[in-house]
Amino acid sequence: MTGGDVLAILQGAVVTVTLSLTGILIGLPIGLALAVLRWADVPIVARIVAVYVSILRATPLVTLLLLLFFALPNIGIAIGPISAAILALVMNTAAFNCEVWRAALMNFPKDQYEAAQSVGMNAALRFRRIVLPQIVRGSLPGLVNEMSLLIKVTPVLAVVGVVDITRAAVRIGAETYDPLPPFLVAVALYAPIVFALVSLQRWIERRQSKAEAAA
Amino acid sequence: MTTCSLVRLNSPSRRLALGLLAALFAMPALIGATRAAGLDEIKKRGLIVATEDDFRPFEFVKDGTPTGFDNELIEDMRKYAPFEIKQQILPWTGILAGVSTGKYDVAITAAIITKERKQSLDFTSPIADATHYYVKRKDDKSISSIKDLNGKTVGVQAGSALLARLPELGAMLEKEGGKLGKVVEYTSYPEAYQDLALGRVDYVVNTVINLQTLVAEKPAVFELGQPVSGKSFPAWAVAKGNTELLEFLNGFIAKEKENGRFAELQKKWFGQDFPNLPVAFEPEF
Repeated sequence: MTGGDVLAILQGAVVTVTLSLTGILIGLPIGLALAVLRWADVPIVARIVAVYVSILRATPLVTLLLLLFFALPNIGIAIGPISAAILALVMNTAAFNCEVWRAALMNFPKDQYEAAQSVGMNAALRFRRIVLPQIVRGSLPGLVNEMSLLIKVTPVLAVVGVVDITRAAVRIGAETYDPLPPFLVAVALYAPIVFALVSLQRWIERRQSKAEAAA
Repeated sequence: MTTCSLVRLNSPSRRLALGLLAALFAMPALIGATRAAGLDEIKKRGLIVATEDDFRPFEFVKDGTPTGFDNELIEDMRKYAPFEIKQQILPWTGILAGVSTGKYDVAITAAIITKERKQSLDFTSPIADATHYYVKRKDDKSISSIKDLNGKTVGVQAGSALLARLPELGAMLEKEGGKLGKVVEYTSYPEAYQDLALGRVDYVVNTVINLQTLVAEKPAVFELGQPVSGKSFPAWAVAKGNTELLEFLNGFIAKEKENGRFAELQKKWFGQDFPNLPVAFEPEF
C-alpha cells in the first residue's frame, strides 16, 4: 500500500462523512415532521405516513437505491449516483427516525400539554417550548443509534458508483491483490467517525442535565 | 393516537396501501420501456460509458485514477470521437443492468459474450481472448491436471459468464468419471482470490488474462492451471438494437487494430497480443 492508496481511502472517508451527514441532517427533521403528522392524527396524511414508514422499513437500502437509480430516469427524472445515494439514505432514515420521534411523542405527558394550553400558548409555541425540548432528550439515544447504523450502511451506496471508505479499500485490494492492509485502514477509519457522533450525543446530554440542574 | 399497521387499516386506507404497493411493484415494469439513445442524441449530450473499478488488468484504479487496458482505449477514444465522453466508474453488479436500461450507453469492460446476454445486449468486436482457466494455490500438490479438480470447491464471480460455463468443466470431469464440486459465488474476484489463498476454495476459474496477471503479481501464492472451457471472448456491450453506436465502436476498434495500438496495449496489459481475434463472435453458450 502506497501513500496514494491511503489518500484514496481518506478521500473515501470524506465521501462517507459527507453523505452520512447530509442524510442525517435532511432525514432528522423529515422524520420529526412525519412523526408529528402521525401524532396529530391529520386525516388521510397520517395514514399515508404510516404506509410510507411500513414500506420503507421493509425495503433494503440497496434495493431501494437500485430502484431509484435505474427506474427514475424512465419516468423522465435524471438522477446521478450521488443524488440517488442521498435520496435513498434520506428516504430510509426518515422512516426509522419517524418511529423514534413518535415513540417519544406517544410517551409525552398529556397534562403538560393541557397546562400549556390553559395558559394560552398557541400550538406552535406549545410544541417548541414544551414538547420539543423534552422529546429531543427522550429520542436522542435512539436517534444516535439510527445515525450510527446509517454511517455503517454507506458501503452499499457503492453499487451505483459512489466511492466510500470500503469501496476505496476494495479497489486497492483489487489492484495489489493484497486486500488486508486497506481493510485494516478502513476499519480504523469508521471507529473515530462513530465515536465523534457518540461524543456529540454525550455532550448534548450533559449540557441538558446541567441546564436542568440550574433551573 | 393512531396505532397503525398494514393489517389493521380500515378499508379506504387499505385501498391506498394496496395502491402504493402496486405502484412500487409497477416501477420495474417501466424499466423495460426505455429505448437506447441513438448516435444523434449521443452527439448532443455525449457518450456515457460505464467501466469497472476492480477488474485488473482491464480496468482498475491506481492512486485514485482509472487505468488498465480499457481505460487507455477510452483515452484514445476521446481523441477519435466527435463527441464528449463521460465516464462512470462502478462495480460490476450494476453495469450490464445499467446498459440494458439505457442509464449508460456502453459498458467498456471485458463482458464475455454469451447467448443469454445477447438476448438483451449487443456486443462489439472481441477485445481479447478469454479462454477460461483455473488457478490454484502454489503449495497445493493435490491438483496438477483437470481430473484432479474432481469434487474440489471452486470459486467464481456471481452472474459471470465463467459461472454460466462451469457445466463445460463439469462435462470434462464426468468424462474422467469425476464431478464438479461445490461452487462458491463471489461479488468480485479479489474476494475469490483471497479465499483461495486462505484455503476456503481449492481453485478459482477466471479468464486466462486475469489469471496470468494475478500469478505474475503473486507468484509465490498462486499457480495457473489448464483451460476449462472452449473459445470465449470478452467485448464491450451496448443495449440490444443500438446498431449505430455498435458500428461506431467497431469502427474505433478496427482503427486501433489497424494502427497497431490494440496489439501494443494488449502486450502492455495482458503480456501478449491476440492478432487473430474475430471481428464478430457468435457464442455457443
